[in-house]
Amino acid sequence: MENKGKKTYDVVVIGAGNGGLTAAIRVLQGGYSCLLLEKHNLPGGFATSFKRGRFEFEASLHELNDFGSPEEPGDIRTLFRSLGVEEKIDWVRIPEAYHMITTDKEYDCEMPFGIEAFISKMEEYVPGSRPSMTAFFELCNEVRDAQTYSNSVNGNTDSAYMKEHFPNFIRAGSYSVNQVLESLKMPKRAQDILGAYWCYLGVDLDRMSFLHYGSMVIRYITRDAWMPKMRSHEISLAMDQRIRELGGDIWYQTEAEKILTDDNGKITGVQISGGEVISTHHVIANCSPHLVFGRMLEEKAVTEKMVRATNARTFAGRGFTLFLGLNKSAEELGIKSHNYFIYDTADSVKQYHLMEKMETNHVQATVCLNNAWPECSPKGTCMMYFTTMFMSDDWGNVTETEYFKAKDRIADDMIRVFERETGCKIRDAIEEISVASPTTYARYCGHPQGVIYGYETADWDSLMPRMMMMKEDAELMPGLRFAGGYAMRSSGYSSSYVSGDLSGRQTVGDLKKEVG
Amino acid sequence: MKFKRQIFGFMDMLRFKKLVPNRREALANGANTPLPKEYRTNLLAKRLHPGYMEVELVGKRKLTEKMVELTFRRLDGDAFPFFRAGQYVSLQGKVGESLVSRPYSIASSPQEALENRLVLGVEEAGFFSEYLCRQAKEGDRFVMTEPSGEFHYETLRDKKHIACIAGGSGITPFLSMAKSMVEGDEDYQMTLFYGTRTQDNIAFKPELDALAEKGVQVIYVLSDEEREGYEHGFVTAALMEKYLDIREVTFFLCGPQAMYAFIAKELAPYDLPVKAIRKDATFCGDRTVSGEPRTFQLTVRIRGDVYTIPARENETLVTALERAALNVPNKCRAGGCGYCHSKWISGEYTVAEGRDGRREADRKFGYIHPCVTYPQGDMEIEVPAAY
Repeated sequence: MENKGKKTYDVVVIGAGNGGLTAAIRVLQGGYSCLLLEKHNLPGGFATSFKRGRFEFEASLHELNDFGSPEEPGDIRTLFRSLGVEEKIDWVRIPEAYHMITTDKEYDCEMPFGIEAFISKMEEYVPGSRPSMTAFFELCNEVRDAQTYSNSVNGNTDSAYMKEHFPNFIRAGSYSVNQVLESLKMPKRAQDILGAYWCYLGVDLDRMSFLHYGSMVIRYITRDAWMPKMRSHEISLAMDQRIRELGGDIWYQTEAEKILTDDNGKITGVQISGGEVISTHHVIANCSPHLVFGRMLEEKAVTEKMVRATNARTFAGRGFTLFLGLNKSAEELGIKSHNYFIYDTADSVKQYHLMEKMETNHVQATVCLNNAWPECSPKGTCMMYFTTMFMSDDWGNVTETEYFKAKDRIADDMIRVFERETGCKIRDAIEEISVASPTTYARYCGHPQGVIYGYETADWDSLMPRMMMMKEDAELMPGLRFAGGYAMRSSGYSSSYVSGDLSGRQTVGDLKKEVG
Repeated sequence: MKFKRQIFGFMDMLRFKKLVPNRREALANGANTPLPKEYRTNLLAKRLHPGYMEVELVGKRKLTEKMVELTFRRLDGDAFPFFRAGQYVSLQGKVGESLVSRPYSIASSPQEALENRLVLGVEEAGFFSEYLCRQAKEGDRFVMTEPSGEFHYETLRDKKHIACIAGGSGITPFLSMAKSMVEGDEDYQMTLFYGTRTQDNIAFKPELDALAEKGVQVIYVLSDEEREGYEHGFVTAALMEKYLDIREVTFFLCGPQAMYAFIAKELAPYDLPVKAIRKDATFCGDRTVSGEPRTFQLTVRIRGDVYTIPARENETLVTALERAALNVPNKCRAGGCGYCHSKWISGEYTVAEGRDGRREADRKFGYIHPCVTYPQGDMEIEVPAAY
């Protein structure tokens, strides 16, 4: 060895998932040195791809919401622009919003993007729904405007200003989705169809805050969703490249094992696999507080407050995905939609409980990527991925020797349900197959129980109070901030990028204060 | 519009005001019990995917003139992980100044793994295998990766009847697949065609004969010898037709490239779909260059440290790293698994023909798989540390 590199950084980011990558770019843009540590050999966390035969599968992304066109950018495109990665990526627009089917034969609806188109289509399916749907979108617009204002003042909102400009936002703000839709006197069937996106947030609509759902739906419907052509791996590598351009370092295959502190609980460094210590005073953790406070942070620095605040929270869904490479085109197989939601029932509360057990969960959010990007696989083939979640730790009961069979059993059920509900026969066309179980997510990303959605944004822990308590939450451990699915913005691609943006910029703020 | 839920809108506003105090209180009232150190699903992930394992060679037995059987036990855990029959491990050892790894298919069954026993069948064919065959002895320690690879049966994809074709040392994964079937972990009907030059070159014959008693159909095909009870010649379509319906099976092939080419030619008239034929990956070795191979300078960055080492034109970048004893990740050595995924920084290179297993975006952003990449000049790369 001829050169020893520097082993002291202003900031160490733990985990190169969507939140960690974004945070690292923000720290570097702020003019500070940054090391990004990743235990896997690829960036992105869930935002990655893998090859099987002639297929390169998308690991997780269904679509990036709130992206918008280059001319009318949504928040996420604007963020990517500011990070300097937008133009490194080739983007493709997603054609339709969703195709919802419930296996109780109640629903089979295809919903478009665009508020007017969405309302009109709803009126076709549910005559008389127009007034309440119009009111719903008006309310959602106010929610979005209020959030834009809140972001512009970094969460330090003026309550008089809020009351004057966003009174409906405040009045609706403490209620669940179902409570608000009821108050809008929305017909039950319209509520059911409108609720289809709930599985993207993973909390039933009795417990999910209206603000959270409304802000997501309006972003989906008004600003079209987009996708990178080379799967989400393209985004992750674009960010990797950006970090290098800005002078940052990324070490793959390097697990952060311990966050070290002095006797006053101040962070002094991060110990990596193999024992080496990187000196730093600032850590951004793109992983769960359960891991950080339960295992990584030196025990002497772990306070009762940290333990209580972490124990208080509830894990959200554990992921399960089936990937199929099919040797016929989507057209030949009769697969028309890009994005299917197949539920047993449109009643999200009942459905949530059915999803607690492997044996009673038949939900799937299914994508045929070729219907958004025809060239994602060779001509005459297509690619599909079927995702579900378990709303309890039921998968933890699977033993080592049952493991492969358990994966097959659930995958088999997904194929059976899809064929039965859509009439598309896909089984004989399977050329490549791969299954990611909660164990797989635990293996690659380290999340407890194979959780893919962070903490449930339900009841008291919903999005709004999390955002309003951002500053207070960070005081739990000065020098430590969180990014990614467990952070203040909750889970999902867009939310993780935003939390990385926030925590990255806030850490820059912390560093600036130190100098002052 | 004016939204309200309660009779008086201000009551809705009051509820909103309580969001923060409510959450503050809930966080403060979380249990004061220690946070979990482990989770069941994560423990299973660690059992199935331990990454690198420390192992000891506990048994060595000659199988044929050129092949030995090596039996290992794991030292850093109770047992080897359960796996899918057909998978391989990468074995790493120090030979002279080099730190060398090679992939070998597992010959023992997933059930044997649980008894902390893992068997490889190694044919003397190159640098590391020569060391293993001639010098390695019981008690020697090695590092082994977890079982990996997609060369295994898939219940939802493959036909119920599988036709396995082994050439030479390519018998090893099929021995595991046959045992796994007999032990009830896999649910297929198996016909095995095992091609060797002579009867003396058949490895694991007693084991295979015993498995034949238990329902595995085993056909020995000798190319250089005529002998009663054995097929003579090559594994042709006509020969296979005697035992099965070619259109009603999924083929699993493991052997040299020449065998793959021969079988492809034999099966071509049937116009089988791509999915009907699965091939095990083959090791990417040296390439031939015209004239004396040149030696270039390879600059390697690992976790902020910089090394400058020689890299021969005819050898892959991983081979150069191994010669310099730099401990970098690699598993399949065939371009496909992506475990050696590394950042290209500068310099010209060539990827071995037909072995570019990179993702689309890897090519766009300058990532390479060093196990199938040859230098065309001085190069600089950034490589992760193996462990």
